[in-house]
Amino acid sequence: MRRWLLISVPYLWLVVFFLVPFFIVFKISLSDIATAIPPYTPTFDITDIRGFLSQLDFENYAFIFSDSLYVNAYFSAIKIAAISTLLTLLVAYPIAYGMARAPKEWQPTLVMLVILPFWTSFLIRVYAWIGILKKEGLLNLFLMNLGVISEPLTIMNTTTAVYIGIVYSYLPFMILPLYASLEKINPSLLEAAADLGSPPWKSFWQVTFPLSLPGVIAGCFLVFIPATGEFVIPDLLGGSETLMIGKTLWGEFFSNRDWPVSSAVAVVLLLVLVVPIVLFQRNQEKQREAA
Amino acid sequence: MRRFSWFNATSIALGFAFLYIPILLLVIYSFNESKLVTVWGGWSTKWYGSLLENEGILNAAWVTLRVAIVSSTLATILGTLAAVVLVRMGRFRGRTLFSGLIFAPLVMPEVITGLSMLLLFVALNMDRGFWTVVIAHATFSMCFAAVVVQARLYDFDKSVEEAAMDLGATPVKTFMEVTLPIIAPSVISAWLLSFTLSLDDLVIASFATGPGATTLPMKIYSQVRLGVTPEINAISTIMIGLVTIGVLVASYSTKRASQRQERELKAVDAGAK
Amino acid sequence: MSEAAVLGSSQTATSGPGQKSPVRTPAPQSGFAPWKDPSREPIVRFQNVVKRFGDFVAVKDCTLDIYEREFFALLGPSGCGKTTLLRMLAGFEKPTSGRIIVGGQDITDLAPYERPVNMMFQSYALFPHMTVEQNIGYGLKQDAMAKPLIEKRVEEAMTMLELNRFAKRKPHQLSGGQQQRVALARAIAKKPRIVLLDEPLGALDKRLRQQAQFELMRIQETTGTTFIIVTHDQEEAMTVSSRIAVMDHGEFRQVATPGDIYEAPNSRYVANFIGDVNLFEGKVVKVDGNFAEIDWGPGLARFKSLAPEGCTGDQQVWLTLRPEKIRIAFEKPSDASNAVPGKVVDVGYLGSISHYHVELGNGQRVKALRANSARTVERPISWEDNVWLEWPPETGIVVTR
Repeated sequence: MRRWLLISVPYLWLVVFFLVPFFIVFKISLSDIATAIPPYTPTFDITDIRGFLSQLDFENYAFIFSDSLYVNAYFSAIKIAAISTLLTLLVAYPIAYGMARAPKEWQPTLVMLVILPFWTSFLIRVYAWIGILKKEGLLNLFLMNLGVISEPLTIMNTTTAVYIGIVYSYLPFMILPLYASLEKINPSLLEAAADLGSPPWKSFWQVTFPLSLPGVIAGCFLVFIPATGEFVIPDLLGGSETLMIGKTLWGEFFSNRDWPVSSAVAVVLLLVLVVPIVLFQRNQEKQREAA
Repeated sequence: MRRFSWFNATSIALGFAFLYIPILLLVIYSFNESKLVTVWGGWSTKWYGSLLENEGILNAAWVTLRVAIVSSTLATILGTLAAVVLVRMGRFRGRTLFSGLIFAPLVMPEVITGLSMLLLFVALNMDRGFWTVVIAHATFSMCFAAVVVQARLYDFDKSVEEAAMDLGATPVKTFMEVTLPIIAPSVISAWLLSFTLSLDDLVIASFATGPGATTLPMKIYSQVRLGVTPEINAISTIMIGLVTIGVLVASYSTKRASQRQERELKAVDAGAK
Repeated sequence: MSEAAVLGSSQTATSGPGQKSPVRTPAPQSGFAPWKDPSREPIVRFQNVVKRFGDFVAVKDCTLDIYEREFFALLGPSGCGKTTLLRMLAGFEKPTSGRIIVGGQDITDLAPYERPVNMMFQSYALFPHMTVEQNIGYGLKQDAMAKPLIEKRVEEAMTMLELNRFAKRKPHQLSGGQQQRVALARAIAKKPRIVLLDEPLGALDKRLRQQAQFELMRIQETTGTTFIIVTHDQEEAMTVSSRIAVMDHGEFRQVATPGDIYEAPNSRYVANFIGDVNLFEGKVVKVDGNFAEIDWGPGLARFKSLAPEGCTGDQQVWLTLRPEKIRIAFEKPSDASNAVPGKVVDVGYLGSISHYHVELGNGQRVKALRANSARTVERPISWEDNVWLEWPPETGIVVTR
């Protein structure tokens, strides 16, 4: 009895404020836009199942899939998220590796230093890059003073800036799981590999990397899933050519005030992400059971 | 004793340079006399002075602080309960759904969470403002809090709780007198994490808020869209400074507490081996 | 209540031939045997207790009586259900079916904190944030006892376990042996009717362990409490307990005193589990009074041994023979009932005793022990020696399963 009371408090909270809203999003994605407050007309009454079934109206979805703007935004978001995930992995791996091989007494401080930027505002960290990347920004100033380039580079408002922003913002999410799995590897495994005649680079690919895979997988999911729906980075750093679905949804909602279409966009985005989210959760549960 | 190899030292140094140089530049340029971000016009604190006169930003900061305190407290209570349910309640009907609900907000794109929250508030006919932002923040922060507390609960020996019950303590008493003191450091970190998540959030707050409850990130965002200004650098620097000091103090004190506990638990665990 | 009723589990656990035979076990007899007294009420009664975890049956229909002041051991390999049985008594697991009765009261549905039993945990489960004193007093505090009384009882428990010096320390400031004593003090501080010990000494090294075993016995005797211990260490069970229940796959194989378990095992399983044993498979060919003749292979001299209860001719049986019961000699003994020739294939010299592995004519290997009582021997038995093994008919036990 008390057990159920305990379970039901957090459970009901999440059902009411997290699960139910998704059904509302779905419901509204089937409605028509209206110039009213709220700006949509419900097409059915939730209590009337028959009416519900007869009036199912997928015109918002048809609209999304017929308009290349939306379809491109989905594909482009997935592409940008995938490429930046890979880039983040490449940047994070040597850092995590270095941390895991650092002297033991240094490691807590290094972990702390990786986490610290994560505590500071995401928005501020993205904002910091604007001053660096823009045409008359600090990076161009620096490179021109060095004489590396004579003309300022155009990075701001391009997809490159979005890549930099995502790698920068999500780097801790990649480093921490990588570090956790690298740190667990017993150094005597590498000694054993060396003892058995394996040169260091071979030991890396045959021993270290396979053993760090759980961290690689967790880190990639942690970057890829939220990056796909990212809004702030493409909005502040990307240009008009950078299409990402998170930005499209925001614009549809706040600029066009088209709630039904933005709901439909959200439903499709969720469907796109359901597979990686479920895979990730499975993977996490498996790791936990193994531990 | 292990030492840094040149390769490891270089990769760590470059990595940390990448992480910290943008923040450092932002802080330095908040003290720039010149209004042009790229031209160094000498040291000045005048942008901090002008912040004090910017009522919009001051109001937003006050709203943000209040939202963060209330929502993180709520999130910590709910998250701790959720962690206890996940770790200690065994199997029950709907457990898979529950752990999914705890997990999903961690990776869910904020635009989706924000939009769905807003539509719920509209459907419930709630007046949007302070409390809707609090609910929205508490909901997604509680999942982070649950993960933090859960990790600690998985760590510690369940028989310590059984011992308390065996000695006559009711489940509620066992939780208050034995479990809670042991997991206290993780509950504090959960609160801090929830607090900063709420402080940082732009997207979900933008959806969930209503007239009169503009948060600081929303204010900053609307100004950033107009261009880089030293004033934004100044408010950013203040936020970075506060969070850094807070995190350092908290991590120092919880580290000491948890080190002590770690030793205690290790000793008890070692006794069990 | 008869012995058979005490044993009565789903399987018919016979008490072995020791009961009706003229054999006297060399184990000390204390005279404390409430299980033989039918007028005594048991303090703990497991009544057809079954515990399933999903498809896995941890405890199969167990019925068992334990009496006041007993030091009762549940012995078996890991996963045999002994810990589950103990945890059901403590209230951490609920039986799938069956009842558990303590002191005449059915406690099956009581919560752990409502039961008159206290447990000493395998991991000790000391509260890391409380001092030794607070740990020991925790249970008393739950009973809303007056503060001075709590202090007095804590003091008593600490004195009994020589913990007074550590009163203000936290668990992490104690050694393993000291933590173990705190855990015990905490379990006895409430003066429960029954103290449960779950592998209480598993974390200690061998020397400390033996010391702790005698300490457990001392505490059990001075407090006069019923102790129920779970262990996988047969020596520990033999040392401390008044009776042992040997468990396997959720069932009792034999419930008896340590002496009877060792000297009169009721099955190959029990004989094998406790100590070393030689097994000879054969058939009963003749029963003559208390003794049976066993044919264990064509062309081999028949064994003469005590007949098991209800033994009939032509029944498949196993002769279980402890290594120390076998005499080993160069010459064939003249008037022995059982004598077989063999060749020494292995010798293990342990100082006080020597082990001999002897291969018989049919290829079977037999283990024999000999105490090295003389400092020098004319000719020690060595590898490749042809020897004779001999034992009296009362020393071997014939089992039918």
